[in-house]
Amino acid sequence: MAGATLALDQATEVLQPGSEDEAIAAFGDGSGITVLAGGTIVVPEISYGYRSPERVLMLTRAGLAGISRDGSRTTIGATTTVAELVDLPAPLGPCAANVADVEIRSVGTVGGNLCAGEGQGAPRGDLQGALLALGASVRSAGEGGTTDEPLDEFMANRRERLILSVSFDEPAAGAFAALDRPHTHDYTALAVSGVRAQDGTIRLAATGAGTWGVRLPSAEAKSADPEAAGLAALDDVELHDDALASAWYRAKVLPVLIRRVLAELEEGA
Amino acid sequence: MRLTVNGGEREVESAPLTPLLHVLREELGITSPKAGCQQGGCGACTVLVGGVAQRACLLPVAALDGADITTLEGLGSPEALSPVQASFHENYAAQCGFCTSGMVLAAHAYLEGGGTPDRPSIQHALAGHVCRCTGYVKIIDAVAAAAGGEASSNQRWLPRTGEESPVEIPGAPA
Amino acid sequence: MKAVGARLPRYDGVAHVTGRTTFVDDVRIPGTLWTKALRSPAHHADIKGLDVSKAAGMKGVRAVITWEDVPLLEYGHLSALGIPADEPLLAKDDVRYKGQPIALVAADDEETAQAAVEAIQLDLEEKPALFDVRKAFDSDAPKIHQWGNWYPHFEGEMDRRQIRKGSIGEAFEQADAIVQGVYRPAAIEHVPLETQVCQVVPEADGRLTIYSCTQALYFSMGVVAAHLQVPLNRLKFVGGTVGGGFGGKVDTATETMCSLLALKSGKPVKWRWTREEEFLCSSTRAPWHMEIADAVTKDGWILGRKMLTLHDSGAYGRFSPYGLTKHSFHHTGAYTIPHLEFDGYCVFTNRVPTTAMRGFGVTSVSFAVETHMSRIAKELGLDPFEIRLKNANRIGDTSPNGVVYTDPSTVPTILAVADELGHELPADYRTMSSELRTGELLPEHLVGQLGTPEAH
Repeated sequence: MAGATLALDQATEVLQPGSEDEAIAAFGDGSGITVLAGGTIVVPEISYGYRSPERVLMLTRAGLAGISRDGSRTTIGATTTVAELVDLPAPLGPCAANVADVEIRSVGTVGGNLCAGEGQGAPRGDLQGALLALGASVRSAGEGGTTDEPLDEFMANRRERLILSVSFDEPAAGAFAALDRPHTHDYTALAVSGVRAQDGTIRLAATGAGTWGVRLPSAEAKSADPEAAGLAALDDVELHDDALASAWYRAKVLPVLIRRVLAELEEGA
Repeated sequence: MRLTVNGGEREVESAPLTPLLHVLREELGITSPKAGCQQGGCGACTVLVGGVAQRACLLPVAALDGADITTLEGLGSPEALSPVQASFHENYAAQCGFCTSGMVLAAHAYLEGGGTPDRPSIQHALAGHVCRCTGYVKIIDAVAAAAGGEASSNQRWLPRTGEESPVEIPGAPA
Repeated sequence: MKAVGARLPRYDGVAHVTGRTTFVDDVRIPGTLWTKALRSPAHHADIKGLDVSKAAGMKGVRAVITWEDVPLLEYGHLSALGIPADEPLLAKDDVRYKGQPIALVAADDEETAQAAVEAIQLDLEEKPALFDVRKAFDSDAPKIHQWGNWYPHFEGEMDRRQIRKGSIGEAFEQADAIVQGVYRPAAIEHVPLETQVCQVVPEADGRLTIYSCTQALYFSMGVVAAHLQVPLNRLKFVGGTVGGGFGGKVDTATETMCSLLALKSGKPVKWRWTREEEFLCSSTRAPWHMEIADAVTKDGWILGRKMLTLHDSGAYGRFSPYGLTKHSFHHTGAYTIPHLEFDGYCVFTNRVPTTAMRGFGVTSVSFAVETHMSRIAKELGLDPFEIRLKNANRIGDTSPNGVVYTDPSTVPTILAVADELGHELPADYRTMSSELRTGELLPEHLVGQLGTPEAH
């Protein structure tokens, strides 16, 4: 089994670009390079010897943080910390506030969170749900240059990309409901984010219902009937047992969270 | 690489990916932040970076060039305890003491940020800190008291016999 | 007595809040080597080959130890209590739990130590493993311990902790109902904030200074001295500053091995477990399997108790027979039951050996007994406070092993709880006391169990 091995090897190349352009150039096509932003996922893996990178791209100085608004469109830089999102409207704000604890939120980034799949037996990447529900798009760099694509396509493609920013249109209403536990390093066992877009469309997404965050199209199709929507959602997910909860338990709770989210979206109507 | 630690400038030679916790404890000999899990999950390694509470075990030192670090030693000394340190001591908020560094620094940051004696708010601020000894109640009491509130909870179980301790305890403040 | 009832500051309080408290990992000795362990990846396997030569030859590696380096490989930590040795300090012929230490490396830095561990060649032949204590008694259960699948060395070479009192058959005959329950608390990790850690310094005079996180300084000193086959005065233990123990830091899990590394390398050695090791390899509070069948009357007297306990000792005995013994004395809880048949087994499984934790052996049986009392009340349709008060220990009642109670506090405690919760009790219950049973509180079936302090 791995020990807590520190990356004390001076030979590991650490790149610290000072701008977006430098970061893109350093990333190249993403091969042979490990991206490090907040470090909440990568640093423990290095400490425990699960990952021994040869080249590390440290994004702290690349100027990729910040939230900006252009009319009704919000853009969030990739290295914006989770803490900076806490006061945003639902679903993203309450979703961010629910992530881990004060100290983790102060360094964990949006970009890192979007790239996080399942950890050692527990779900990660809570923000995926909120951003999927918001119908966000991702601006990223890598092979073929800089692209802009819908988040769900980005996550499905799973190519080696350097996330630069995410953006979304302000919804008419948003909601977030989570099954979680109090206390330290709080991995959320299951959460649902919901959005009613300006044009009335309902979008729903869940995290903790599989390795990655997922949209819930079957539930969306039945959103007028929260009861039915909750049950339909089970068709969209692949629940499994992990350290936090069993698939059985998640299957019981998912419809409840969906009903809550839809009720909250109704209220905002 | 240069760090300011508790007001003093220190040269750091550790490899760039070395976590700050290791730099503090091994290279600089500052042992108050503890290695509880080295995964960011327990809070015992917490230090203040520019006044913000963060996990030293998660911060690669290369990301901190020029940073201003505060550890527990920087808050006060046995001769001059800071208000939070004094409150922790008076309210029996430490038993084995291993989580205490992280707890006190997190509490300090909470109070510096305008934290109130409201117990749920205190719990929220300290949510990332595990303590296996105290059951947390007295820790929350200590922070509430330092915030100017009542160290309420089950204080009624603690007998009070006036200001002076009738028994001399070696090492206790005068 | 000036201290009792007074509000006194903790003598270590100021050090704790100023970061001055020196835990083992805070001790700084120049030239200290870092330690990593090769641990069994299998639950149960024979060791077919172990080659540490490549590791020992690596640059920066100062010492590697295996079972061959241990002067006394197996030492029973509680041999003074009659529990014989069964566990090798480092695995020799086989491994019996995932995480069992096989070899240790001391090197100049943590990374080198880990690389050396990975360079050790280990050849295992896996065998079927046993995880369920209930299956240990099956004729086709895998044999996982040289003594058989359960501990056979209680006094008189008995294979169980046995308590008999009165006539259980009589109780079952006279009962209006039999109330049964099965209770299976799971293992619990201590999770101290400070993981297992030790630092050993070989001194010029041939002694060893051992900075230890043990909860039991002199006990651990004895264990190390025994394994090393040295007199006690060869060791200087420095300790008493423990970052949480809760019973899990009595096992002396690191001190002996670090001492061997220090002796072999001639340098100070430190071993600090990772949180992962702490969760996967450190001993836990044991899981228990308890079955209770009580013979009861419809008005709530418990005439007799038949109980079976299977204690999950893990791969080796360690302190488990002692824990089971304490457990057995408490199997009637705070209540008086005249007819008893208790059998407790210390069962081996291919899990990390279990150990003490906060109320060793007794928390399990208290949980079971109290839950069972409530179950009886529920099944008989009686008030749970009244049924407890009725059967509560009183002056003159005798314990399962015949000790006469002279000052039990069950009755006043239950009354205080009822009062605190605002639970209404009838007058005859509200006025109960611990005094010697008389009248209605002394039915025929309890007469025979009364004792006097002189009679004990």
